[in-house]
Amino acid sequence: MKLWHWFSHRSQEDRELEEELQFHLAEEARLRKDGGEAPEAARRSALLSFGNYVLAKEVTRGMWGWTSLERTAEDLRFAMRMLRKSPAFTVLALTALALGIGATTAMFSVVSSILLKPLPFPDPRRLVMIWERPPQSSHRNVVQTQNFLDWRRRNHSFEDVAAVFQIPFNLEGSGDPVQVPALRVSAGFFEILGRSPLLGRAIGPTDDVPDTPWVVVLSYGLWQRRFGGRRDVIGQKIAGPGNAFEVIGVMAPDFYIPSLARADLYLPLRIRPDEALRDGRNYKTVARLRPGVSQQAAQSDIAAIAAQTAEERPEMNAKWSATVVPLMEQTVGDTRTTLLVLFGAVAFVLLIACANVSNLLLIRAHARRPEMAVRIALGAGRWRLLHQLVIESLLLAFGGGLLGFLLAWFGVPALVHMLPEGFPLPRMAEIGVDRSVLAFTMALSLGCGIVFGAFPALQLGRGRVNDALQQGGRQGSASGRHIRSALVVAEVSLAMLLVIGAGLMLRSFALLNAVDPGFQPERLLTFRMVLVPSGWKTFDELLAQRAALIEQMLTRIRSLPEVASASSISFLPLSGSQSGTAYYRADRPAPPLGAMPGGDTSVVSDGYFRTMGIPLLAGREFEERDRGGAPQVAILNQTAARRNFPGANPVGKRMHVDWTGPPEVEIVGVAGDVRHNGLENAPDPCLFLPQAQRPAGWASLLVRTAGDQAGVVAAVQQQIHVVAPHQGIEEVQTMESVMSDSLARPRLDATILGVFGGVALLLASVGIYAVISYSVEQRTREMGIRMALGAAPGSILRQVLREGLTLCAVGVAIGLGAATLLTRYLATLLYAIRPIDALVYGGVSLVLAASALAGCYMPARHATRVDPAVVLREE
Amino acid sequence: MGNREPYQNRIELLQGTLDMLILRTLRWGTQHGHGIGLAIRATSQDVLQVEHGSLYPALHRLRKEGWIESEWKMTENNQRARYYRLTARGKKRLAEEESRWDRMVEAIGRVMRPVEE
Repeated sequence: MKLWHWFSHRSQEDRELEEELQFHLAEEARLRKDGGEAPEAARRSALLSFGNYVLAKEVTRGMWGWTSLERTAEDLRFAMRMLRKSPAFTVLALTALALGIGATTAMFSVVSSILLKPLPFPDPRRLVMIWERPPQSSHRNVVQTQNFLDWRRRNHSFEDVAAVFQIPFNLEGSGDPVQVPALRVSAGFFEILGRSPLLGRAIGPTDDVPDTPWVVVLSYGLWQRRFGGRRDVIGQKIAGPGNAFEVIGVMAPDFYIPSLARADLYLPLRIRPDEALRDGRNYKTVARLRPGVSQQAAQSDIAAIAAQTAEERPEMNAKWSATVVPLMEQTVGDTRTTLLVLFGAVAFVLLIACANVSNLLLIRAHARRPEMAVRIALGAGRWRLLHQLVIESLLLAFGGGLLGFLLAWFGVPALVHMLPEGFPLPRMAEIGVDRSVLAFTMALSLGCGIVFGAFPALQLGRGRVNDALQQGGRQGSASGRHIRSALVVAEVSLAMLLVIGAGLMLRSFALLNAVDPGFQPERLLTFRMVLVPSGWKTFDELLAQRAALIEQMLTRIRSLPEVASASSISFLPLSGSQSGTAYYRADRPAPPLGAMPGGDTSVVSDGYFRTMGIPLLAGREFEERDRGGAPQVAILNQTAARRNFPGANPVGKRMHVDWTGPPEVEIVGVAGDVRHNGLENAPDPCLFLPQAQRPAGWASLLVRTAGDQAGVVAAVQQQIHVVAPHQGIEEVQTMESVMSDSLARPRLDATILGVFGGVALLLASVGIYAVISYSVEQRTREMGIRMALGAAPGSILRQVLREGLTLCAVGVAIGLGAATLLTRYLATLLYAIRPIDALVYGGVSLVLAASALAGCYMPARHATRVDPAVVLREE
Repeated sequence: MGNREPYQNRIELLQGTLDMLILRTLRWGTQHGHGIGLAIRATSQDVLQVEHGSLYPALHRLRKEGWIESEWKMTENNQRARYYRLTARGKKRLAEEESRWDRMVEAIGRVMRPVEE
């Protein structure tokens, strides 16, 4: 029915009812007049015998069954008026709700974007990554070249498998050379992902062949930045290391592979079949399952192939297997626990906010008892009043919901924007507040309205009209107090739980932050790059060039006056990268195949340990004399020394190393351990090889400055440029910021939980404050009489404080109990402490008690200032 | 949302019975609200005192249920009045109400005046 028709129909019904009732009265009066009554008396008695005319009419209208809309509109208007009439209440309630709902909405948008939304590829459920699995381990290891080729050729489960290699690209040409993140991908990569380029074409099989002209596909970002988004970029050549690269395509702005590093451009992988057997494990893979093939089927297929390759090439593959991991799992697996913990935490914040608003509503409902009682006495049904209360709650809830949504709408993008580009959060770019989030907020607001509206409504069912009318609403009754106290206890225990969670995370983070990395990060600059040698023909020439480049750069850098010392390492500690290989004592028989001796392997230049501030525990560090042609040397870290030479000094002993170059080395030194693979991880065994003897292609120059770092970066870059004009630098960072970056995730987690804990604490304090002040206000008379009878203000103060602290103590006890049960879900996020930590639990209990005390103190002071004379006069 | 507000306690108690009385009164022909009230009082020899105002919620509810229908007609005194008439569904409803009433009276009778052994 159209609205207009509805209204016109409605008003006609109204007129007809009025006429019908008027007819009744007229008829009754006529009858009574006929019976002998005077006309005036007859009319009056007719009205009298009719009962309550207005009410009868109202109830009759109710029978038509379509007044609920009208009634809701009316209640809505009334509710608005009520909210406007008590601005303090409204502001407090809306703030609590906006905070609670806003935080929950924001968290939901993150959870939804990361965990719930499918990956941005066609049919993403069929996308997987395949990893090698080392003996006796569940580690997802990068893949050996020939193994990848065998998987691709022999499998029956995948449409295609592609290998990916992350390596910076030295971008030359206009301006200073730079190194940008790039992916080398085998042909089929883009087809597997199901995304075709925005412009041009993808890398095809003919491009992925060694010794053909190089091609490159640009990311949208690089295309915009470097080429101004010009469409004629297709077919242009860009200058790269020793070659020109023809641009064949540009990808769409949203193209990225969430479990791989961000890339500015894509190049063909170009595996040389003759080298595939000799390669190490370097590649990641992506694959697309054939339609209808399950992950389990693919897993057993690939495991069977891995068993074959282990048999065919035991020296490389003995006891190794392979694992198929869905791309979604690979992307979000590590993050799921954190996100769910944070989402749980924010749900608790919301519950506290609801309890708070519920309490405020209860207090107000109590204050409004006379109003309600009068309305009941005037004939308003309980359902009608309930309806009114529910409307008020929902109005508040949706008001809070709207504010909360706006908070999330503006806050989430701002927060995500504040995170650095390389922040270790998967799918960060996809985080956003969309329609599903809005639907969630609406549902959430409705739920909140029902939750916090329920308690005042229950109260309504209980209160007796007479009580309220007689008391005139001046005094408190016990009935509401229990619910209010229960709500405060619930708030305190939830806050307790949250603050304990936050406390655990913060303490864990503080411990992590205080971990000795094993080196001294102050005044240490790092210059990360992939070496770009030029004009080499053979592999040996390439190696010689790498060694020469680093040596010449370091010689020039060390001569700068601001530089105290300088060296280099293949992969920086705490940067997330490391290489490793097998090594074992040369005086012992080679361990069986698949036994995995050895561990981390770093290639460093002269003076590395001195530059890093790593103590040498025995022997010496690499020096000028450790060149090519000189005796092959190595240094062990403490863990590797202890593992390979327990109780003995390894200096002078010989070891066997699987690395490019001669297999035997002499140990010349033992260095202190460094937490290379993360501050939270115990040091792994590590063997150091000299760059001059085993030149690595990846290098980070390390520069310890003598004083101020200002100006040093430019001076160092200039020296690098003099030695190698085409050499770009991937990243310049202080070692302190490398360390800080490695803690970015735990820092964010602890910060978020800390904020949630703080909000929870604040809300709970406000809750205690509201309830205690109300209780004091209700008992003003009692206090006044007691003061009149000679009670000392101190005893009144103590009584009020005791009341508040009792509530707090019960809440703290429940919170502690809940925390011992629930914080176990934090276990995987904690470093060095267990979920039940006496310091945190005790400290948080004290914090809660202090904030409860703060919440009670003002009302308690107020109670002691009651003027007995005033109270007694009121009686 | 419930539309049936309890009018007042005593009416609520009477409600089911009042419905039946109205339906039964209308079995003899169309009648307006006032007439229905009169008929109930008259046939019960004034034992059943129905507050006039409570009649109309009941009438409008029965109409909504489809047991009675209404039309505006002129009375003998040439006044416009809303007349109610029993529908086919209303007749069926009345039969059900009557048999339920009989059973209830019988049952209450057995409780109040048990047969002496």
